[in-house]
Amino acid sequence: MFRMSKTSFKIHIKTMNLLKSGLKMLKAFLILFLFLGLGELINYFVEIPVPGNILGMILIFVALKVKLIKLEWVKPASDTLLNYLVLFFIPFGVGLMSYFDFIKSHWIVLLVAAGVSTLITLYVTALIQQKLEKNDSVL
Amino acid sequence: MTAFYNLPVFGIVITLVAFFAARALRTKIKFVLFNPVLIAITLIILFLVVFEVSFTDYNKGGRYLTFFLGPSIVALGVLFFEKYQLIKHNIYPFLLAVCCGGIMSILSVSLLTIFMNAPEVVIKSIVSLSVTTPIAIEITKITEGIPSLTAGVVIAVGVFGNAFGPGFLKLIGIKSETAMGTALGTAAHGIGTARALEVGHLSGAYSGLAMCVNGILTTLIAPYVVVWMVG
Repeated sequence: MFRMSKTSFKIHIKTMNLLKSGLKMLKAFLILFLFLGLGELINYFVEIPVPGNILGMILIFVALKVKLIKLEWVKPASDTLLNYLVLFFIPFGVGLMSYFDFIKSHWIVLLVAAGVSTLITLYVTALIQQKLEKNDSVL
Repeated sequence: MTAFYNLPVFGIVITLVAFFAARALRTKIKFVLFNPVLIAITLIILFLVVFEVSFTDYNKGGRYLTFFLGPSIVALGVLFFEKYQLIKHNIYPFLLAVCCGGIMSILSVSLLTIFMNAPEVVIKSIVSLSVTTPIAIEITKITEGIPSLTAGVVIAVGVFGNAFGPGFLKLIGIKSETAMGTALGTAAHGIGTARALEVGHLSGAYSGLAMCVNGILTTLIAPYVVVWMVG
């Protein structure tokens, strides 16, 4: 009765591994949300005009740097989120449909100002970095 | 049927369908306008307009997806730490590039709007256009512009940078993938970073940090520039 057949033992190991990676993922998300909450908390209590999520980003980097937390603890969650980064922006983009009237009356200014300044910013940033950086990637 | 539009699951499902369809299309056709963000947004807006669904109804589900932007930005800190060893020796060129780019963005957008005789509220709303949406909205609150207009233009800039940034940079002779990442993060925030991640993980790390550094820089400078330009 207590003896397990070989196949059921294998299945047992498989479920355990699945459970383990699931728990690891859960832990990783919990830590990310902990830092997000910490950032929001600081943003709420201290008067700095930097949003909580950016503070959370800085805090988690510092925590990793001073080895307060390990990379493996958070990597499963951060990799998953970054893979779907584009998806999370889509509803913001759809929100553009609410500004049709304003865009209609000012579209030339908006188009020229946004387009030209974006190209200038891209150009200046990339040029300075390319000129001054030490080559680190084998392309 | 109308009641179905009111359920959060409607916004979530339509976004997921549009996103995965746009992504699948991208792997088939490598044309610049078949950018996943652009295609997905266009498909959803068309659907909502044709079936007369309001953005408010759509966003009942959509906001569950945007909720993940918060932890995703924290995740960028993790990505940056991963690549920090590779970036460390380039930190000063990187910081100089982001600061010059960020200042050029603020100055060029304010001068262009003033030169084109736009109403003051436009410059107050779009001065922070190269910065990630949540920070840009904070800046607009400080400069007393229209936050909703800020969100719209910031997204448009992101999509523009995402779709045309790498092509433009290659055209003007930028060969370094890391310089491309830094430029995309500085000029086109998170949506640009999403494209930089497609170029490469290292490029994405530069882009994510550039977005963060430029966000902080613009928050500190832009309100003063607006006061200086329009009073």
